[in-house]
Amino acid sequence: MDIETRRKWDNAARGYALMNGRGPEWRWAPPKRRLFSEMSGRVLFLAVGPGLDIQFFPPGREIVGLDISPMMLEAAAPLAEAYEGTLELRLLDVHDLDEPTGSFDQAFTSCTFCSVPDPVAGLEAVRRVLKPGGSLGMFEHTGSRFFPFSAMLDVMTPLTWRFGPEMNRDTVANVTRAGFVDVRVEPVYLDVVKIIRAVAS
Amino acid sequence: MERRPYFVLGDFGSNLLVGALVAVATGAVVGDAWPMALGMGLGMLLGDLIALPAAVALSMLFGAMELMLPLMLTGMVAGMAAGMAGTATALGTADGVVLGGVCGLVVCAGTYAFNGYLHARHRREQS
Repeated sequence: MDIETRRKWDNAARGYALMNGRGPEWRWAPPKRRLFSEMSGRVLFLAVGPGLDIQFFPPGREIVGLDISPMMLEAAAPLAEAYEGTLELRLLDVHDLDEPTGSFDQAFTSCTFCSVPDPVAGLEAVRRVLKPGGSLGMFEHTGSRFFPFSAMLDVMTPLTWRFGPEMNRDTVANVTRAGFVDVRVEPVYLDVVKIIRAVAS
Repeated sequence: MERRPYFVLGDFGSNLLVGALVAVATGAVVGDAWPMALGMGLGMLLGDLIALPAAVALSMLFGAMELMLPLMLTGMVAGMAAGMAGTATALGTADGVVLGGVCGLVVCAGTYAFNGYLHARHRREQS
């Protein structure tokens, strides 16, 4: 497990719900609810964090939620227990995914691959545990192609990376590099916040 | 495209507030004997120094990227405009509030328009 990343998110856990639990989650509720309504079969969810996204999961699903941070999982535990379905939380780094090959029908992420240290390796691990033809649904923020937003996100990244995400990641390209096919992008806000759908080859 | 009144009012109100704050602060620092480029540069820097903590605080209420990106842009634009105006003539508080507020509203409206354009383009590509 990447201890440095684990420590970073343990430190972030205390203020995470305060920072993101109201404004951002209210704002993103409609697109997140729409994306997660597509959950079916055995679902892998990374990274579950303090569980803010659980409220958007449709009931009755079978979900395994991963996170690298014990503090985040501790915060998520009551929300996972209250979920009307099966939601198992596991402490695991996405790079160390030990589930058998082809053991999930779908994988979902929510603002995850802006902060995974090696995003392509992480996405390759996700692809491995998905069944062939299994789907990936991501709600992510990325860099922008448009000035001045691109420059602003580039400037902010060295600051934000110390305690959280990289703001200028090209996650769509990373999904393709990791071997996913049929990659489709739906904008949520500008070309920065987006839903990415892809299929495991 | 955001249509919920809480967020639309929050976006425009936040940009108006930060734009006004930045312009007033810049007007108080920049003197009318300064070179214009120096006033604009300092205004832009001051704008981002004010906009960043404001964006962090206001994002708890109104959203992350949707608030942060326009506010950072408002900080830069209002700072530059107030820096330019302040080197031409002394910029009073009331003038700063109006100038910065207008900059904030224009930037916010611009990002809404650009976001709408990107969504419309996506819909066209899908159909």
